[in-house]
Amino acid sequence: MKHTASLPDRSMLLIASTIISGIIAYVMILQKNNIESYFVTPVVMFFCFNLYFASAWNVSRVAKIVAFVGVLFIGIPMIGFTNSLYLQVAVTICIFAAMSLGLNVVVGFAGLLDLGYAAFFAVGAYLWAIFGGTQANEFIAGNLFPLNGNLVFIFIPIALFVAAGVGALLGLPVLKVKGDYLAIITLGLGEVIRVLANNLNKPINITNGSQGVRIAPNPETSPLAFITVPLSEATGIPFFQMQLTMYYVLVLLVVLAVVIFTSRLDNSRIGRAWVAMREDEVAAQAMGIPLVRTKLIAFATGASFAGAMGVLYAAVIGFINPNDFNFERSTQILAMVVLGGLGSIPGVIFGAAIVVSLNQLVLVEISRVIGLLNLPPRFDPTQYQQLIYGVILISMMIVRPKGLIPAKRNPAKLENLEHGELAKGVK
Amino acid sequence: MLLNVEKARKVFGGLVAVNDVTFQVPEKTIISVIGPNGAGKTTFFNMITGIYQPTSGVINFDGKSLIGLRPDEVTTKGIARTFQNIRLFGAMTTLENVLVGRHSRAKTSYLDAILHNSTYKADERAGLLRAKELLEFVGLLDKRDELAANLPYGEQRRLEIARALATNPKLILLDEPTAGMNPQETEATKHLIRRLRDDQGITVVLIEHDMRVVMTISDNVTVLDYGTKIAEGLPHEVRNNPQVIEAYLGRGAAAGEFGKTAEGGEAA
Amino acid sequence: MSAELFFGLLPITVVDGLSIGLMYAMIALGYTMVYGVLEFINFAHSEIFMVGAVVGVELLVNLLVPTGLHPLFQLVIAIVVAAAVAGALAVAIERVAYRPLRVRNAPKLVPLISAIGMSLLLIDVMRLILNPANPNRPFPTAGSYDFFSQQLDLGFVAINFKTITVFVVVMLMLAGLVYLVNYTNLGRAIRAVAQDQSTSSLMGINVSNIIVLTFFIGGALGGVAGVLYALKYGVASPVMGFIPGLKAFTAAVLGGIGSIPGAVVGGLILGLLETLAGTYLPLMTQDQIGTEYKDIVAFGLLIAILIFKPAGLLGKAVAEKV
Repeated sequence: MKHTASLPDRSMLLIASTIISGIIAYVMILQKNNIESYFVTPVVMFFCFNLYFASAWNVSRVAKIVAFVGVLFIGIPMIGFTNSLYLQVAVTICIFAAMSLGLNVVVGFAGLLDLGYAAFFAVGAYLWAIFGGTQANEFIAGNLFPLNGNLVFIFIPIALFVAAGVGALLGLPVLKVKGDYLAIITLGLGEVIRVLANNLNKPINITNGSQGVRIAPNPETSPLAFITVPLSEATGIPFFQMQLTMYYVLVLLVVLAVVIFTSRLDNSRIGRAWVAMREDEVAAQAMGIPLVRTKLIAFATGASFAGAMGVLYAAVIGFINPNDFNFERSTQILAMVVLGGLGSIPGVIFGAAIVVSLNQLVLVEISRVIGLLNLPPRFDPTQYQQLIYGVILISMMIVRPKGLIPAKRNPAKLENLEHGELAKGVK
Repeated sequence: MLLNVEKARKVFGGLVAVNDVTFQVPEKTIISVIGPNGAGKTTFFNMITGIYQPTSGVINFDGKSLIGLRPDEVTTKGIARTFQNIRLFGAMTTLENVLVGRHSRAKTSYLDAILHNSTYKADERAGLLRAKELLEFVGLLDKRDELAANLPYGEQRRLEIARALATNPKLILLDEPTAGMNPQETEATKHLIRRLRDDQGITVVLIEHDMRVVMTISDNVTVLDYGTKIAEGLPHEVRNNPQVIEAYLGRGAAAGEFGKTAEGGEAA
Repeated sequence: MSAELFFGLLPITVVDGLSIGLMYAMIALGYTMVYGVLEFINFAHSEIFMVGAVVGVELLVNLLVPTGLHPLFQLVIAIVVAAAVAGALAVAIERVAYRPLRVRNAPKLVPLISAIGMSLLLIDVMRLILNPANPNRPFPTAGSYDFFSQQLDLGFVAINFKTITVFVVVMLMLAGLVYLVNYTNLGRAIRAVAQDQSTSSLMGINVSNIIVLTFFIGGALGGVAGVLYALKYGVASPVMGFIPGLKAFTAAVLGGIGSIPGAVVGGLILGLLETLAGTYLPLMTQDQIGTEYKDIVAFGLLIAILIFKPAGLLGKAVAEKV
């Protein structure tokens, strides 16, 4: 890693490559009626390479920002106008990246194994699905629902606090006892939430049981309609495609916010307390770190991110049912974190990207080929996602427990006193 | 009295590990607790620092009871400690280990950390400045960016002291601070302990097996055997106390200087 | 709900609850023994249980039923084979997924994650083997297997032979385990390793072998429980392990993890409580609260135990050495 200093500066190359990929994408939009859909894949890969170069090459900060902004905020939405599959995948990646970053706080930073993370995701998702759709009319009189879609922005913080509250309520008794038990308790919690989602359709129909809740798509009342509708009219891009692009930008910004949140926590006394606790609980406590409270902060932080993302998930997908939040979902997010690297912010995002693309692109493609070759459907890999998560978890633990992009702690340095923001405002 | 322990007792199952020990520590003194292996010294420390709750007895610090407090609360009250088998945070740098010690004195809240506001910045600045001071004090400033796990043994012990000092203690409990050190390191540590009291104004209680250390730096020595306090007094008084010699060497071997026999240190 | 209905259902509910509790106890033993020796939750244990069940049922359906032997005799053979396969699987898992981590002294989180991975892997491999389109394997019922559905009328309660078989087999296995652990050299070695690994190895005990043995015994008990579970509920399937595994772990914690009698007591209490809840909650609420809520009862019990008696009913509180 330290050798990068001696590598040639490739900033200009990266910027050039980003611009070229942007031009290709633009040409594709103009020619969208003449271009076969499979032509899109290499362009998307070109984008992905640019992101990889931006992280791996020795490039200046400016070039890095150009590449990331160019690809994430301009390139991918442009691709979305020609082929919405990739945009959908990108939206899913962002949702899962944000959740993985939340789970990373719990498992990676604080070293607490949470196997029921999807439960908090469910809390947020049901919150919005019930009140953002017509489901709430079932138990609240007056035909007030669905609520205006823009209220989603109020529900995000509400879900944040509700999920954090559920997490704290549950964490409090559990975090007092040995860490091992947390895994099994959270596993149980996941099961309880699933049972509740499945059964709370009586005596009062709150969750609509196993049929799930649907939010009917409605251009008038959907979130951000006040921007999407005029934009769609002005550009001639169909409404739902425009909406997907809006959602993409929205979740991307959320991921950015979560990255900033978690890295700032990591580099504060709270983050140091988490590491200390993970290393040696007895010594950490002797240094004045209250164990239960510090663990609870991590647990609730993770839960709150999942809750917030649940709201967005329900808004974007428009339909949820209890099986979206089962044990498999929790292990999927865990696999993303473990694959990318416990405690590593770029790693976890990378892990989410790999697992989601694997599920939604690669496996689907293999499955199509199997169909073409007339192989028996039992070999269709899309039904064996747990197998993939299992292999990821075991092999990473045995071969590369620090993950694909191991966490690089950014330790406090005395030099920070002279440079950067700590130096500001000093006489 | 800074620390006042009266008739503290700790029973594990049927075993009396600490038997009604009364122990007093005046401010700005260096007190040694000695005794053969398994005498209950570390259990006694653990009782003061809240890792174990005493079965009965009184523990007052600065006039306030410590009974029922958790270890982190005891630390916040102003008692810091080191461990017999070094317990540093190996994956963190030397500097960060000291910063962790600042935890209970820092004011950065969750929100401050996310917002990077002035509280956060002032806090981090103060922490770094204090850590620099402490690392200078124990002579580890040039090792500040090394991982604690990679430091040599003697430096790890000194880092533990610096980390403990970062909690701003009035009283520091050192559990075998010179164990496993060579004579030069031992000498340096002795000097360091004196400076803790003389320069920093901190009261020191130490468990120690090296009698040359105990005899030269202690203001007062307490001897435990089988959980019971068998002697207390000035170093030379304790040295010549027949009961103490008997505890160390067994009956009938009261002659000779016992100090040399106890150099090996206690097995973990 | 009338008193007549309430008391009329009570005996059969209790018998049912106890038989389920005994099966939980058998699974819980696998968790608790491994935890006792390694302080590690073997998450894959619920899948070892599942594999035992599937192996037993497949063996019965494909090989044993055609022989025409007495169904009890067939069942015994199936149980023995399932126990051997499940035990061997547990040992293999230990070799592949846990031992490499233990050898390099990895942090606690690492083997836990590996165990979760193993659990997921086993479920899907079994689905692949059984064909995911139709992964359920019904326990034989036709012909001579009618025997298990016959009732034995004891006057106050009529019990079918499925339940009686569960009782008898579990009792025999428990008696064997108690004998092994308490009255043999091997058992003494297991207890010694559970207390202190390094001292045991100094005393000439091959710790590695004892760990393997513990996994084998725990796995075999889980495999037996699997076959009994399939007998009782009439089906074996790749996903059958998850809920009983969670319950059994709860039972182990309830009784005091690491304690063998604790696992049995915990299993019985849990089985009884959740069966009572599953029967009476829907009856008392006119079906407004369904049987599925019994899972929440079990889970609530786990939380309550951790709050009020974290060491479990029969466990001892241990302080960490500092």
